[in-house]
Amino acid sequence: MKNDATSPKELRGPDYWRSLDHLTASPKFQQWAEREFPETVLGAPDGKSRRDFMKIMGASFLLGGMGLTGCRRPEEALVPFSKMPHHYTHGVAQYFATSMPVRNSAIPLLVKSSDGRPTKVEGNPDVGECGGGTDSFAQASLLNLYDPDRSRYFLKSGKKSNLGDAEKNLAEISNKHKSDSGRGLHFLVQSTSSPSRIRLEKLIKKSMPEAKWCVYDPIDFEGASRGYSEVFGRSIRPIYHFDKAKVIFSLDCDFLGTEQDSSAHIYGYTKGRKVTDGDDGLATTNRLYSVESMMSLTGSNADHRFRVTSNQVFGVAAAMMDKCFEALGSSDEDAGSPIPALRTSLRDKSKEIPEHRSKTGWSAKWIEESVQDLIAHKGNCLIVAGQRQPDAVHQLVAAMNTLLGNVDKTISFIDREQHDAITIEELKLACDAEEVETLVILDGNPVYDAPADLDWKTAQRKAKHVIRLGYYEDETSQDVDWHLPMTHYLESWGDNRSSKGFWLPVQPLIAPLFKGFSEIELLSRLAGQTDTKGYEIARSTLRAIIGDSDFEAQWKQCLHDGHHESLKTQIVSLNVQAFDWSKLTLQIGEAITEEAQFTQASKDVLEVVFHRDASMDDGRFHNNGWMQECPDPITKITWDNAILMSRRTAVELGDLKNEELIEVNLEGRKLTGPVWIQPGYADFSLGMALGYGRPSPGRVGSLGDRSVGYNAYSLRGTTSKNFTVGGTVKRLNKTFPLACTQDHWSMEGRAIVREANLENYETKRDFAQNMDLEAHSAHIPHDADGQPKQIYKHPYTASPETKSEIHQWGMAIDLNTCVGCTACVVACQSENNIPIVGKDEVANSREMHWVRIDRYYSGEPAKRSQSDNLVHDDQQAYEEWIDDVQVVHMPMSCQHCESAPCESVCPVNATVHDHEGLNVMAYNRCVGTRYCSNNCAYKVRRFNYFDYNKRPLDKLDRGPWKTFVTEGFADRPQDEVNLVEMAKNPDVTVRMRGVMEKCTYCTQKIEAAKIAQKIKARDSGDIEVPDGTIKAACQEACPADSVSFGNLLDPNSKVSIAKRSPRNYSVLGFLDTKPRTTYLAKLRNPNEKMPDYFKMPLSTLEYKREMGSPFESHEHHTHEDSHGDHGHNETHASEDSGKGGQH
Amino acid sequence: MSDVFPKWTNGLPWKVLVAVFLLASATVASISYYATPKYTRVGYQPKQPVPFSHAIHAGQLGVDCRYCHNGVESSWFSNVPAASVCMNCHNQVRKDDPKLALVRESYESGKPIPWVQVHKVPDYVYFNHSVHVNRGFSCVECHGPVNKMDEVYHAKPFGMSFCLECHRQPEERIRPLDKITDLDWSWEDNDSTVTNILAGLNVNTVDEAKAKMVHDWRVESLINCSACHR
Repeated sequence: MKNDATSPKELRGPDYWRSLDHLTASPKFQQWAEREFPETVLGAPDGKSRRDFMKIMGASFLLGGMGLTGCRRPEEALVPFSKMPHHYTHGVAQYFATSMPVRNSAIPLLVKSSDGRPTKVEGNPDVGECGGGTDSFAQASLLNLYDPDRSRYFLKSGKKSNLGDAEKNLAEISNKHKSDSGRGLHFLVQSTSSPSRIRLEKLIKKSMPEAKWCVYDPIDFEGASRGYSEVFGRSIRPIYHFDKAKVIFSLDCDFLGTEQDSSAHIYGYTKGRKVTDGDDGLATTNRLYSVESMMSLTGSNADHRFRVTSNQVFGVAAAMMDKCFEALGSSDEDAGSPIPALRTSLRDKSKEIPEHRSKTGWSAKWIEESVQDLIAHKGNCLIVAGQRQPDAVHQLVAAMNTLLGNVDKTISFIDREQHDAITIEELKLACDAEEVETLVILDGNPVYDAPADLDWKTAQRKAKHVIRLGYYEDETSQDVDWHLPMTHYLESWGDNRSSKGFWLPVQPLIAPLFKGFSEIELLSRLAGQTDTKGYEIARSTLRAIIGDSDFEAQWKQCLHDGHHESLKTQIVSLNVQAFDWSKLTLQIGEAITEEAQFTQASKDVLEVVFHRDASMDDGRFHNNGWMQECPDPITKITWDNAILMSRRTAVELGDLKNEELIEVNLEGRKLTGPVWIQPGYADFSLGMALGYGRPSPGRVGSLGDRSVGYNAYSLRGTTSKNFTVGGTVKRLNKTFPLACTQDHWSMEGRAIVREANLENYETKRDFAQNMDLEAHSAHIPHDADGQPKQIYKHPYTASPETKSEIHQWGMAIDLNTCVGCTACVVACQSENNIPIVGKDEVANSREMHWVRIDRYYSGEPAKRSQSDNLVHDDQQAYEEWIDDVQVVHMPMSCQHCESAPCESVCPVNATVHDHEGLNVMAYNRCVGTRYCSNNCAYKVRRFNYFDYNKRPLDKLDRGPWKTFVTEGFADRPQDEVNLVEMAKNPDVTVRMRGVMEKCTYCTQKIEAAKIAQKIKARDSGDIEVPDGTIKAACQEACPADSVSFGNLLDPNSKVSIAKRSPRNYSVLGFLDTKPRTTYLAKLRNPNEKMPDYFKMPLSTLEYKREMGSPFESHEHHTHEDSHGDHGHNETHASEDSGKGGQH
Repeated sequence: MSDVFPKWTNGLPWKVLVAVFLLASATVASISYYATPKYTRVGYQPKQPVPFSHAIHAGQLGVDCRYCHNGVESSWFSNVPAASVCMNCHNQVRKDDPKLALVRESYESGKPIPWVQVHKVPDYVYFNHSVHVNRGFSCVECHGPVNKMDEVYHAKPFGMSFCLECHRQPEERIRPLDKITDLDWSWEDNDSTVTNILAGLNVNTVDEAKAKMVHDWRVESLINCSACHR
């Protein structure tokens, strides 16, 4: 980000000053202090509402930083409104329904406004889409609003211009192209769901029929829609009902992670994943199969997983289709039926499925048995294919879902807007032919993310006139005629449709911080419309749908509710008979011929898979610190992407080490990146996350002089947008450190995450408690009465009068539904003002996240010898057991132990228990001894080693004095306000250097709810907060509804009910900490007939080897028993190896 | 050797010790007196941009506190009224009074009046007005007799010990909800209101009445860190 501001030094007052008054008397300072945004930032402030907002801000700001006038507190002003606005009380947060646009979908949101500034994004529970949850992107989008590097000027050929000139220019273009019916006018846009944008596009097409539209999404999520549309002969979009499916089969589809709308998918999936008692009294849950190359979140949650390279997935789909025909009968045996021909080609294709390395027939059996399971659940199963798979695979999946009778049951359809758009390749040809008069680029960043072989930067410049609407002055904006700043969705009016067809409003919570347009405001100007305000555009669109009568009331209702039932897109009832088998046969035949030169990936020709990143999306979150620091759900790497590969790939490429730099060559292009060995990865496949390594990064997305991560787009060509085989690797003999938050992969047989198969669960439902150490041995010292001796003093036993009889808070986390998506991590960061610390500090294990998600791998015990436990972390990546692993995810934050080890060691009583069971931190008392953190068994305490909130990440080491005296008051260029401060939650203290912090159970939310209840109670005793009123930030964001929080004294509260589950257990309970956060054990639902079936989860097998089976009672262990007596272990270990079903 | 330390130095160690002791005591005493809110805050009475008199409005005229500070029952913050609230009356009463020039100007121009803040708790204290005034604790407990002040001054020290005084014994200060903004009202008043309250609560003494209110309303004695610090 360039801006020609003067250096920070010039912000300083006089070099010598006698008193603060003298200093403050300087006119520069006066101006700085009086106006929060100095003139240069904004030009003249526009409009009253904006100024009102500034007044409120001003009250807390004025001279706030200079509390030294004498020893007295400085004089501060209370600045009221001049006219009282309606429906507003200072200090009371307001919530507005809006939605975040994501390509052709949107996430329904409720956004919190704290005295005029949006401070927290939450899901809208009224829209039956994600159940009130969000994904981490929606949470982090708030920080994008306050991104210090966002575009704030109208630039004409790189020079500052103004709104007026920009508008004039747009009007000229509009007039010009209206007269030549749009010849030479080209739009380059990203896909959208906005009814308003679609309406305006139609208007433009009408008045400028020759204008061309190019829709380019660097990551394309339209494959499934194209697949279904093709075979049903109608433009449709599938809606998956994961909640209704008993068996789900994912073909390289990470629907729980990096696919679009993952939060809605997680909501559906986990609804079906919840353990319920079936009609026969046995527990049931859905079952998930996954075939994939990467270790994705979906794969990590699967009951059965088959790793193949991404290009072998087609073969797997073909084999499945063939099996379906075999079992269900293709009925069309009559002459002329295309099915026999189709089956021939399917069988050909299915030969490409890789054989298991050691077990012959394994792969065939895996597919056979999984398909049998699907067939057994005809009508309530669901097959989904991943975004990166070719259209042919999506067509096969469409055919299978049709054959399996899933249409209108687990999958339904809505109509999809037809778009006669050209591709970016065609647009490039037009540019090269110099046919492009005016090129309008809306959002996106094609110079960065277009296929590398297009050389888009040069192509774009061949257009005569380039106008770019962008949120950042990024790579694409560098060589354009006009750059127009774009507004954030939290500051603009508009509308969206979610992928399930809900109409969702976009309503602003704040006036644009910097002048700019939204997409629809720009298009309306180009269309020559008179109403160019987003508000009017969105209203006109809605008016066209619902008509004039009663419009105002309906509009208000829509804005209030954040959706409108009557505006929902109708489900299309499809005639299954319309399925075009001939077309499918033809297309599949073609696809197979096209891939005739199918190459099996090997160490000489590697498969390269480009995937959407869990933190960066396609690069749009590159300058977002929350996302940069949010660990990848699987690799746990922050602030970087790595070249992911399997253990065997690394070994065969010459023992590549983690963090070793390699050069990957593909189709003549090359890039350099660090190696990361990922358990469970397909062999000879390299995973590369898109969205990193921006050529001109912002200040957050850069480390020193380089961008964060490597740029996978630089390797990606037109023919290899998703994956391709043909990569080669060269060693560079250099290393590059990665900041990973979880080095160790295995639980080493300890019962941290406890899991069982459904059938194990039936034999002993309280197996999780049976895995407590107390259940085994006399580890725990007992007193004379036979009661466990207390290690730490219990605050309520010591002084019972301090215990509240009204509320006792507790939390339960269901590990069975937690998929590990990290939405809670970012939500907590946003709610609790948690700073980011930068890559170096993360590498020092100083990340500040209050909640982390621990991810553990477990392998076959047979493949692990006892001595494996001694393997150093550096070596674990070469252990054979990591090839096929099971994965568990466990959110871990302060457990609010009743007998808290941290409390007894604090020398200053900074961490103490409150009367409602919270382990609280009094920041003002904390002197930073870090004893508490050392004594914490769960390692959930976080220490502010530096003033993370005050210093830029590259200047953390500067002390407070140095900054104050020698650097002036601000570390930022003169024309800049500290926007990031505006994202802070006013109800939570911003912690300073030297202070310990940790999860508070969102004590600010608890207090707010208690106060609200007390206000309601007034002079009555009804002060108990009703269950469900308080939702901790993690709980609120969780799309899986895994977290329950509430009052333990209320036997009917959700958390009390959860804690009564037989699956409930405490982590490290044997330490006598009595945690208030407990976990519900995870259940797996494997299919006995599958070749990769184990009679219990691998981690439980590991545990069993150490401690004996948790599904048998341990009554023989009395207190006198020695815990070391585990002579029977060996027999268990040998039993466990191989296929467990036979035992 | 006797030349090195003359005789008068024999008493010196004692004198030094005494002096150090006195100095240390003086330092501790002066810091604990001069650097605590009791000294630094109480009595603070800045000059306000508009000479507004609470004594006239709230005292003589009997305007309820909540007419102007209307956010006090719903927010943590008790707001300073907008100029438009002043103008509700002053577009009729004392329309052209020069003392009200700033108010009229603010109302016209939209430029706020910079009232000087008198009462403030530190940023790390999350004091909430609404929960106090809704649960029987009057404005007067913290702000003093504002209805008698011409210009508002800081009447109470606002240190943590001041808060805890009441948080430890809420029954000392509790009062009926309809007397919250009646700053002159007191349990000691031997008038009919107190008698009626006692009769209503079916008790004989004021102490019993207070205790009963605390019990029935379930007023907690909140002395945990998390009650005020987050």
